Amino acid sequence: MNDAALPSPAEDRQSPAEPAPPVSKEQQERFFETWNEPSGFPGRLATVDNIRIGVQYIVTAFTFFLVAGAFALAMRVQLAVPENTFLGPDVYNRMFTMHGTTMMYLFAVPFMEGLAALFLPFMLGTRDLAYPRLTALSYWVFLFSGLIFYSGFLFDMVADIGWFAYTPLSAPAFAEAGAIDFWLVGLGAAELAGIAAGAELTISILKLRAPGMSLNRLPLYAWAWLATAVMIVFAFTTLFIATVLLELDHAVGTHFFNDAKGGNHLLWQHLFWFFGHPEVYIIFLPATGLVSMIVTASARRIIGYRFIAVAILLTGFLSFGLWVHHMYTTGLPELSLYFFAGASLMIAIASGIQIFAWIGSLWGQRPKWDTPLLYVLGFIFIFVLGGLTGVMVAIVPFDWQVHDSFFLVAHFHYVLIGGAVLPMLAAVHYWAPKLSGRMPSERLGKWGFWLVFLGFNAAFFPMHIMGLYGMPRRVYTYSEGLGLEGYNIVSTVGAFVLAAGFLLFTFNILWSLRWGADAPKNPWGADSLEWSFESAPQVLYPRIPVVTSRHPLWQEQADGGEPPIEPPRQDPDTPAYHRLTEILDHRPTDWRATLVVDAVTAQPQAIARMAGPSYMPLVTATGIMVFTVATIARLYALAGVGVVIAAAGIIAWLWPNRKELDLMRQSTLPQETGLPIFTTGSKSLGWMGMLFLIAVLGWCFSTLVYTYFYLRLYSSEWPQGGVAAPDPLWPACIYLLLVLAAAALGGGWRSFRAGHKGKFQLGLVAACFAATAFLGLHVPHLLSLPFTPQSSAYGSAFFTLSWAVDVAVLVGLGIAATGLLRSWPNDEDWRLLLALHAQIAAHYWCFAAVAAAVAFATLYLSPYVI
Amino acid sequence: MSLSACSRLVLAAAALWVVGCQGERTQSALHPAGPAAARIATLSWWMIGVFTAVFVLVLVLLAVALLRRTERTMAPPLGKTGFIVGGGIIFPVVVLTPLYIYSLETSAALRMPKDAFTIRVVGHQWWWEVRYPEQDIVTANELHIPAGRAVRLELASADVIHSFWVPELHGKRDMIPGLELEFWIQADKPGVYRGQCAEYCGRQHANMGFYVIALPPDEFDAWVAEKQRIGPLDKAEKTPAGLNIFMKAGCATCHAIRGTPADGKKGPDLTHIGSRRSLGAAKLANTRGHLAGWIGDPQAIKPGVLMPRTFLLADDLMTLVDYLEGLR
Repeated sequence: MNDAALPSPAEDRQSPAEPAPPVSKEQQERFFETWNEPSGFPGRLATVDNIRIGVQYIVTAFTFFLVAGAFALAMRVQLAVPENTFLGPDVYNRMFTMHGTTMMYLFAVPFMEGLAALFLPFMLGTRDLAYPRLTALSYWVFLFSGLIFYSGFLFDMVADIGWFAYTPLSAPAFAEAGAIDFWLVGLGAAELAGIAAGAELTISILKLRAPGMSLNRLPLYAWAWLATAVMIVFAFTTLFIATVLLELDHAVGTHFFNDAKGGNHLLWQHLFWFFGHPEVYIIFLPATGLVSMIVTASARRIIGYRFIAVAILLTGFLSFGLWVHHMYTTGLPELSLYFFAGASLMIAIASGIQIFAWIGSLWGQRPKWDTPLLYVLGFIFIFVLGGLTGVMVAIVPFDWQVHDSFFLVAHFHYVLIGGAVLPMLAAVHYWAPKLSGRMPSERLGKWGFWLVFLGFNAAFFPMHIMGLYGMPRRVYTYSEGLGLEGYNIVSTVGAFVLAAGFLLFTFNILWSLRWGADAPKNPWGADSLEWSFESAPQVLYPRIPVVTSRHPLWQEQADGGEPPIEPPRQDPDTPAYHRLTEILDHRPTDWRATLVVDAVTAQPQAIARMAGPSYMPLVTATGIMVFTVATIARLYALAGVGVVIAAAGIIAWLWPNRKELDLMRQSTLPQETGLPIFTTGSKSLGWMGMLFLIAVLGWCFSTLVYTYFYLRLYSSEWPQGGVAAPDPLWPACIYLLLVLAAAALGGGWRSFRAGHKGKFQLGLVAACFAATAFLGLHVPHLLSLPFTPQSSAYGSAFFTLSWAVDVAVLVGLGIAATGLLRSWPNDEDWRLLLALHAQIAAHYWCFAAVAAAVAFATLYLSPYVI
Repeated sequence: MSLSACSRLVLAAAALWVVGCQGERTQSALHPAGPAAARIATLSWWMIGVFTAVFVLVLVLLAVALLRRTERTMAPPLGKTGFIVGGGIIFPVVVLTPLYIYSLETSAALRMPKDAFTIRVVGHQWWWEVRYPEQDIVTANELHIPAGRAVRLELASADVIHSFWVPELHGKRDMIPGLELEFWIQADKPGVYRGQCAEYCGRQHANMGFYVIALPPDEFDAWVAEKQRIGPLDKAEKTPAGLNIFMKAGCATCHAIRGTPADGKKGPDLTHIGSRRSLGAAKLANTRGHLAGWIGDPQAIKPGVLMPRTFLLADDLMTLVDYLEGLR
């Protein structure tokens, strides 16, 4: 990694000197004052605390779950008997669309993200997530996306196109205008929230851990999230671009999904399932992490830790090679189907490893039959069945029969309810005591479990048979005499039993908040760090723990005086880590900070400042909301206002707080601990965040380039519409400006490290100038082209990729210009304060130049070559 | 969960299955009536059998794991690594490799046989246009095919994505606007097989059914000959009263009756409507009462269908129905 040669005064001091003084009462109070979160209204809207936001996430997502569950019950009533008239086709089609949409986008992923935001810092031994304000932004955008989806009901504009929104049914020619806009922009916002959460969680897991928690001691839940969060980047970004393209078709009149103008309907399916298949594992993998944690606690051991971690990574990797198994019936070349079928079968191995590791861990251990374990066993039962039917549908000829039939409905409810919802319920029952300090009732918990388990199987098992008997999915009714009557009525009854189970579960948790028995520190005898402190914590880890094992708590004596499960052990570094955490005990007192560690070894690397409460995430989210709602209403001036609000919010949010900076500069912690506060490169959370942004933007570009070539591949003429391919000479000159900008900033970064402030500023000025010149020349060039985004799918793809370059340049211009602004004041510590900004600007522009070069080659050179 | 509870559940499921199998079944993938569907059904039964065994095996292992008592350090059978590698890697590979090969073999057997009889099927919201390009026959919502002979299907769509599915004859294949796809079916024996659209295609996706009617070869030839005989409007004869009403009521905007001035393209061709089995894409049996009701208010029967209500006096409606019923 590219570390700056920073003038860190403590760099030469390898080991901290004398032991730190004991923590005074006053110091404790100041520490808690600093971490204190605003309460009441409107203060609460500024909260950035992972516990509060995690709970908000979970409660909001669960509310959506109940709503979508009510839709499901209504649909089951409609299907209970043939030719029923309880719901008409319009209401039914809207309901199954909103059921799937809500469950996938507003419940499953956000609920998992909420759990992770809440509990990952507990388990990792850090005081908060990497970007507390991003957590808040992610929540607000998620909440708003849900409100956008559902506000369609107010205007009687609810989408009826299914959660998969296949074109052309969802394209301008067939979709009800308005309804589809609510759906698309709601979805776009939900994806943004997901990507933000993905960034947050990946970097928190990699960089914010207790010293000593090396990768091979990472809790399995964190391993699962590490894979998931990376998957979110690629999957959600792909869908984000797909929704943008479809919304452009609606709002701007492009033709990506208009076959009459050179568009392609299979393009949507490819993009959608490239997201859609990993999406299933984005929901499922965190659930396996939850299961591993609960199995570990129940069995007092976990076997095959490495196998499980590898299986998680393998699942994540393979999940991107399976999307075509949703498209077996679209007439793709036979050979490609066999490839995807083979890849699909390999998932069985990844899942098999985990299942057998869990069974092997439980082998002979006589676990206590607590409710969380019951849910885990129910999970294994249901998930194994759903996994096996998953193998069946991966087999091409079999899929030709059951594709889009009720067999599929049965299969994925087994996988998603069994594979994700049951572990979620287990997790809530398991961790609720940590938050509330009260135990849920075991008796109610077990009743709830049996209702859920039996109701689930009664509701969904018959659907396998319905599907094989020829009942397609997404039908609001079916004919008599197809032999489907008995199965449907059983299924409907089962659905109500299942709903009763969910309600009883919810009641139990709510009941426990007030009347539950007091929860001990570690009620389940678990091994992970969150059980090391008293329940219902306000601030996490005033003293950061030190880890020497995969099961930190099992080295301590249990409450009942039983001997520790594992013998205590020490690493060579452990004493030094203890000295370090002692120094950081309740410190720093006047600004928020936590420890940054090496991603692999978990050796402490730096002290990272954490942002405090702020209204800016809410302001930014509001700006995004205004933009999206204005897009629905086609009020583009208002959309511009939304962009301005969001941009202002982001700048105000990131703008350094002078007072806090002074405190950080005066801090003696670097001298005491030997760890820097102002950092660059991989020690810096800011730089890691930039890396993540580059990954997301890079994937956006890749998806657009893929779109361009996909359309090209299936077009008889290219460029379409009889226009000539644009002449590359003048555009080459324009694009060269971006290379110049990147070179200027690269040079600026070098001068910065050499200590030449003037040359550094010159680099920034040159880059700003080059970027502005690019925009000034690029836009007239686009306007002078003989085709428009509306003339053909070629024009649509051409302009969209060009616009993406403009957006990337605008972002880069913002980074360079703010850097210039910040370098203005004459501050003797300028190298300390500006290093990160200078490095980020240089690296971002390096990316922007590469992306622009790829775009140029695609747009201007490829028509001559291919 | 205890072992007995599991086994009870499995038994209950099996019982449910058996009961189901004895019921009516006119659209079932498990009761094949053609070579393609038969291959797939055999593959299905194999998978159902093998995976049921795998499922039971995993549950038995889980039950044993929970019921045994061993030392904390005791490994499961085959050792910790052995248990995971054996159960999680070797076992799936051993089960799935032959299955995969078997599925490839099945796929190869499902390729379209040579010299098949060609029919073109175009999906519409929410009905099926059926054309016999070589025989110059156009009909809707039912395919007459010769039994015992492969039928090549040219699949296309006039609007959104649909999917052609007759479970007793073969799996399904999508109909995608902008693309021309091929598929085939074959019925071993004469009979009537029900099919249905399998890709969600809008409001009335649920009511987009059709029938495949397999006829013995000689009857099929007779059917073709009959349908090729379009009653050309005899100049000498008076225009039938029903046709006048048909034209006046605006039916011809969407519907064609060959041999008459009615040449609408949006709706089903009605040249042989009288001999069809169903109305509204297998929604109703084609009886006189249903036909009158359908013409009068199709929206009541199939809400959202693209055919509007027709306002006719009762006598005119009956005349029109008489006329249409006579188009055989």
